[in-house]
Amino acid sequence: MKTFLNAILFCVLLVPATLFAQSTVSGTVTDGSNSMPLPGVNVIIKGTTTGTSTDFDGKYSLSVNNGDTLVFSFVGFVNQEIVYNGQSKIDVVLQEDAAQLDEIVLIGYGSTTKQDATGAVDKVSDEDFNRGAIVAPEQLLAGKSAGVRITNNGGAAGEGSQIQIRGISSLSANQSPLIVVDGLPLDQRGVQGVRNALNAINPADIEDFVVLKDASATAIYGSRASNGVILITTKKGKTNSPLEIEYDLKASVQEVTNTVDVLSADQYRNLANISPAFDTSLTGNANTDWQDEIYQRATGAIHNVTASKGYENFNFRVNLNHVSQQGTLRTDLYERNALNTAFVQRLLDNDLKLTLTAKGIIDEYSYADTGAIGAAVAFDPTQPIFDQNGNFTELGDNLAPRNPLSLLEDNQNNNRSKRLISNFNIDYKFWFLKDLRFNLNAGIDYAENDGKQFNIANPNNPNAFAFQNFYSGLNRNTSLDFYFNYKKDVESINTVVDLTAGHAYQEFYISSNQTLTGAGGALITNPEIINRNGLESYFARASFDHDDKYLLSLSYRADISSRFSPDNRTGYFPGASFGWKISNEDFMKDSFISNLKLRGGWGVTGNQEVGNNYAYLGVYTPAINDQVSFFNNGQFIPTLRPNGFDENLKWEETTNYNLALDFGLFNDRLTGSVDAYYNETKDLLSFVPVPAGSNLTDQILTNVGELTSRGIELNLNGKIIQSDNLNWDTNFNITFQDVEVENLSLTDNPDFSIPTGGISGGTGNTIQILRPGFDPSTFFVFRQVYDTDGNPIEGAYVDVNGDNQITTADRQAYKKATPDAFIGFTNNFSYKAFDLSFTFRGSFGNYVYNNVASSNGALATAINAPGAFQPNVNASYLYTGFANQQLFSDYYVRRADFVRLDNLSLGYQLPFENLKVRASLTGTNLFVITDYDGLDPEIANGIDNNFYPRARSVVFGLNLTF
Amino acid sequence: MLRLKSIKTIFMSLTIIAFMQSCESRLDLVPEDNRLTAEAAFATEEGYEQAFAKLYAGLAVTGQNTTGQPDIVSDDEGASGYIRSIWKCQELPTDEAIIGWNDGGIRALNTQTWTAGNDFTRAAYNRTIFQVTLVNEFLRQTTPEKLDARGETDEFKAVVNGYRVEARFLRALAYYHAMDLFGNVPFVTEDDPVGSFLPPQIMRSDLFDFIESELLAIESEIPAPRSNAYGRADRAAVWMLLAKLYMNAEVYTGTARYSDVITYANQIIGSGYTIPQIPYQYSFLADNDRNGAEEEVIFTVPFDGLNIQSYAGTTFLVHAPVGGTMSPSEFGINGGWGGLRTTPTFVEQFPGEENSADQRALFFTSGQSKEIEDIGSFTNGYAVTKWKNVDVNGNQGNDPSGEHADIDFPMFRLADVYLMYAEAHLRGGGGDMSTALGFVNEIRERAYGDSSGNISASDLTLDFILDERSRELYWEGHRRTDLIRYGRFSTQGTWAWKGGVPQGTTTSAFRDLMPLPANDLGVNTNLQQNPGY
Repeated sequence: MKTFLNAILFCVLLVPATLFAQSTVSGTVTDGSNSMPLPGVNVIIKGTTTGTSTDFDGKYSLSVNNGDTLVFSFVGFVNQEIVYNGQSKIDVVLQEDAAQLDEIVLIGYGSTTKQDATGAVDKVSDEDFNRGAIVAPEQLLAGKSAGVRITNNGGAAGEGSQIQIRGISSLSANQSPLIVVDGLPLDQRGVQGVRNALNAINPADIEDFVVLKDASATAIYGSRASNGVILITTKKGKTNSPLEIEYDLKASVQEVTNTVDVLSADQYRNLANISPAFDTSLTGNANTDWQDEIYQRATGAIHNVTASKGYENFNFRVNLNHVSQQGTLRTDLYERNALNTAFVQRLLDNDLKLTLTAKGIIDEYSYADTGAIGAAVAFDPTQPIFDQNGNFTELGDNLAPRNPLSLLEDNQNNNRSKRLISNFNIDYKFWFLKDLRFNLNAGIDYAENDGKQFNIANPNNPNAFAFQNFYSGLNRNTSLDFYFNYKKDVESINTVVDLTAGHAYQEFYISSNQTLTGAGGALITNPEIINRNGLESYFARASFDHDDKYLLSLSYRADISSRFSPDNRTGYFPGASFGWKISNEDFMKDSFISNLKLRGGWGVTGNQEVGNNYAYLGVYTPAINDQVSFFNNGQFIPTLRPNGFDENLKWEETTNYNLALDFGLFNDRLTGSVDAYYNETKDLLSFVPVPAGSNLTDQILTNVGELTSRGIELNLNGKIIQSDNLNWDTNFNITFQDVEVENLSLTDNPDFSIPTGGISGGTGNTIQILRPGFDPSTFFVFRQVYDTDGNPIEGAYVDVNGDNQITTADRQAYKKATPDAFIGFTNNFSYKAFDLSFTFRGSFGNYVYNNVASSNGALATAINAPGAFQPNVNASYLYTGFANQQLFSDYYVRRADFVRLDNLSLGYQLPFENLKVRASLTGTNLFVITDYDGLDPEIANGIDNNFYPRARSVVFGLNLTF
Repeated sequence: MLRLKSIKTIFMSLTIIAFMQSCESRLDLVPEDNRLTAEAAFATEEGYEQAFAKLYAGLAVTGQNTTGQPDIVSDDEGASGYIRSIWKCQELPTDEAIIGWNDGGIRALNTQTWTAGNDFTRAAYNRTIFQVTLVNEFLRQTTPEKLDARGETDEFKAVVNGYRVEARFLRALAYYHAMDLFGNVPFVTEDDPVGSFLPPQIMRSDLFDFIESELLAIESEIPAPRSNAYGRADRAAVWMLLAKLYMNAEVYTGTARYSDVITYANQIIGSGYTIPQIPYQYSFLADNDRNGAEEEVIFTVPFDGLNIQSYAGTTFLVHAPVGGTMSPSEFGINGGWGGLRTTPTFVEQFPGEENSADQRALFFTSGQSKEIEDIGSFTNGYAVTKWKNVDVNGNQGNDPSGEHADIDFPMFRLADVYLMYAEAHLRGGGGDMSTALGFVNEIRERAYGDSSGNISASDLTLDFILDERSRELYWEGHRRTDLIRYGRFSTQGTWAWKGGVPQGTTTSAFRDLMPLPANDLGVNTNLQQNPGY
């Protein structure tokens, strides 16, 4: 009966259809760039939901009526529309979308397209990445996006970077952006025991970065978004693709390019002619350049083996990664072994998509004792490396510098970190309502580390012990979030409506253990330190696209943090933005302007990443060991200390305004955007002095002060030459920024300031100041007086307050470490099988305090040492002639503008038929143009003090794809 | 279909609600390691004892580890300690000590050119006020009501009450040091909360009254002289602090109280302390808790090379003066810090200077010049060998690495009381001359090893006493207060580098008070800066 009914229905409904001249069309869709078939292309009859998609060979077939318009669409390609007029075969060549305006861009709990984005969102993909033997993933992005400043922390093996998006918005709370890997927000504090927690993400495994810069884009991440958000998507397999096996090698050699200028052995000996106090009986007969001795030519290799394959409903990608990278400082080594996997399974007729990514990483560091850098600068250059007994020469005084080579060779510190980062995603389209989607992410980032440090007993102290330190820890970050998304083109009002609402919970657990040599030389075990904090969130977003011209997006997030008392626990973070696609207006038709969009946004974001989990609770801290007891009745009694706290601690809030114009000219040969932003942070979570007597310490974490930052970002992309054989693309971005402290105290006192920026050369000295009206990295110095020849006069400073004395009251705020502007400039050329690319980065208006010169650049360094030894003197002494340290002279605050050729890479595609072979040669950090006379002008905090030099490297790359 | 949809929706909603509820409660987090909430801290008797121990430890150590867990964060940790910070303020601006380092504002202490931004005066301010807030917290947590609520036994309540009495002594002591250095400081008691409020400023004379009233209030409750555990305050310590308060009352309040000095000095002297007839230096050695020197000590701050470590106490006092050609091992340490020396003026206090028959002239002169041309050069100025981390036989203290000292810091000792008695007598406070003379000669007999240094009544003048106080009590943290009482700290009296010139010059009277730190003025609008700054 049922079959019969079905048959009747078939006849009634479908048979007549064939009467209306329905026929079948078929064809092949190919990729315009390489003429390869394109699988998975959507072929739809316009105005209907009828359609199909191309198979593995790019073929399709579809029933059509005369006059139907076929729409061929595929992500990253320009749509094509063809009217069916009885052709039996329609072959289509899709061209890659030049401007990639339809490119999908993740925006946090959802996605949009580039042309519909209303926030300041920048996507940097695979092909735009920096070249070279890059171990730290953030380095792929350096110089590529306006407003994003990535400063690596030096040349150490496996070193990390400071990432700043649109300057800083906080003083004491975390200043790093939130990084979300495949939907899992990472702990902004990193993990223990490693130089760079991000190294767990294999750069070769990254598909793209999406940088969310303004609050209208980031507010959906609420409380952790004040510093911007970076979404990292890792590579996955592709549906319906053949097995592909890829091997990639990057072999590198690195050398330091510059060392600190100190007196040569002869110049040092000559000090005896300058000062009778220079004791020639302490000098030796050797000529040792200690900095030459501690640095080495470092080699490194990165191997990646990747296999991927895609079926109709399932695909996978498996990557095996090995990194071995020496540091230029002897004995410094970083190794990584990782297995990175991604699996995608589609079920229920593609309505259910399951994605599992799992990365297992073993990070191993042999930490060289970086104290050797300072020791090499200070060690007597007339001493031989080895004494007559063949031991490392030592100076025999407890406070004397140690032999730098002994520090490297005799001290060991190794840490191994095992890490698992995994995320499971369920994406489900409801069977009864295809526009409604449910998405769930369950993620874990789990790390265990185990470190061992062994230092020999200080040979300069006959009573010293060897130092042992066994440290281990666990970091666990678990995350569960889900959301519903409803997206529908409501034709009655010509508006695409996109609604999202969801919930997230994330918990961070950190424990640390340490057993080390304590007082008296015995091993002591410190009490375990445990920290747990949780964050629960509700979020929602509504986006509207009316007539493909007017865009509106509203978002809201409520975050509940365990770091605050129940009264202050919840923070609310709204965001709103609009966009006007001017180029879609009728009056813009046929203009040379191919794309023009005005967008603006406003949003509130927060920060609660303050390190201390229980700062709102009055907590008692026991002594960490028995070294700080009280003697009572013949017994040593441990102590219990009440810690300072602020029970009213609450969210730090940043309000952001953004106004921008996106444009494309000449058929998008020239595209770009200009963004102007203004950030205002209030209730700054700051470690500030409290009124004495009001709390249980002198500085606490509290909500005090305001900070503003503003800037303009310009991003330009040009396709200067586009032809069959020759292509030339260029990207230029420049950012102008300005950050200012507005207020620092509860009393709104405009003169209140806080010293920051600790320096070496005596204890407790600082060189920077937080003061209302100034950049937070402003230096605080005496204004040096110079003689007629332009040489600084020792101890002569401007008597600012005119009291005829030079006191601390005469120190002035002067210059800053933050640049006024910074740029990135990338060019990619290709000619037939050759390609060439290079990237410049530059920074302007930034200053650096040369602490190496100020602390060691005086005669007193050698002759007034606290013992029977004479450290070497910084070569700046030859110019200043300073007898004594002049730590606070602005002479040492030097202009540090620079332009650096970050990388230059040449590649060649070998002409094989069935094998893709690409060979490349890359040079990184090739030169720096700067006036700065210290080691390196690019110092994140502006204080140049025993910086691990950045190396220049030459990288040979080979990539084989089967 | 619709039914199914509704069921699904309801199911989904229930799931979400259940999930939400489970999460919310998970956000009430308290420490899971050895840190404790206040309730947990005072849940055991050990907790009380350990919180109490912290009050005394506040005088000796700088945090919950030797370094790295500081109580006070805005100052260098070593410099933030109680004894070191007060010692620097009391000694460096005077003729007794000069330091060669380049740390922050330390040179300005040598030269009396400090400003309100000075980090070393701030360190003393922060530490003394921290000590006050620590006591206040202890008193808040141990009120009779709280003890009742926690169901403590009567026996234990009595123990805790004893702790409270000593805690109030420590608060009075901290306020005394703050008042002496800074005059008009923020004033908080256990009745104040912890958190966002601006403590009021108290005038020096009002603070004097508070300290006096506190000491008088606990006098009868605190254990009798020499009956409390070593290192803990007793009634003699209360009397001593009262005596010091009255000795300088004219400076603090404008009203002299010398007869009260005599009263309390007599009570202390009558409590059985003696000047031991052992070498003067024994009082400043690693075993000064047991080599006989302890016989004259009224209140001491114990240190131990292994169990009471900090860079702020006698570890500083023994390392900082060693440099040049001095042998660290003679001092029981692993190396000198090449900082502290003394001025020619102080050397000249001793007849025969470095070769004086007075055994208190403990100088190291080899390779050192007496005069100070360059503050930064350790060899300029004689080094002082008073503090040594060795026992009477020259053996190094407990810490085999030679880093931390065992020497206990004798904050109050009998010689000081004898000299106060003599001075109060000469200033008309009563007592009698022959007793005073006997006291002074008793001190000098230890110094000379016999009566060869004894003086006669006609020698015993106020000027003599000031000099004798310097000879006897130098480098123990008394000099600034003494000079101010004699009016010779700022506008009168010169010594090398005072005022910032090599030969020394006088300075303005306002320097008799240290400035309130600029940063505290910045955050507390209730505070008025001391005049002149």
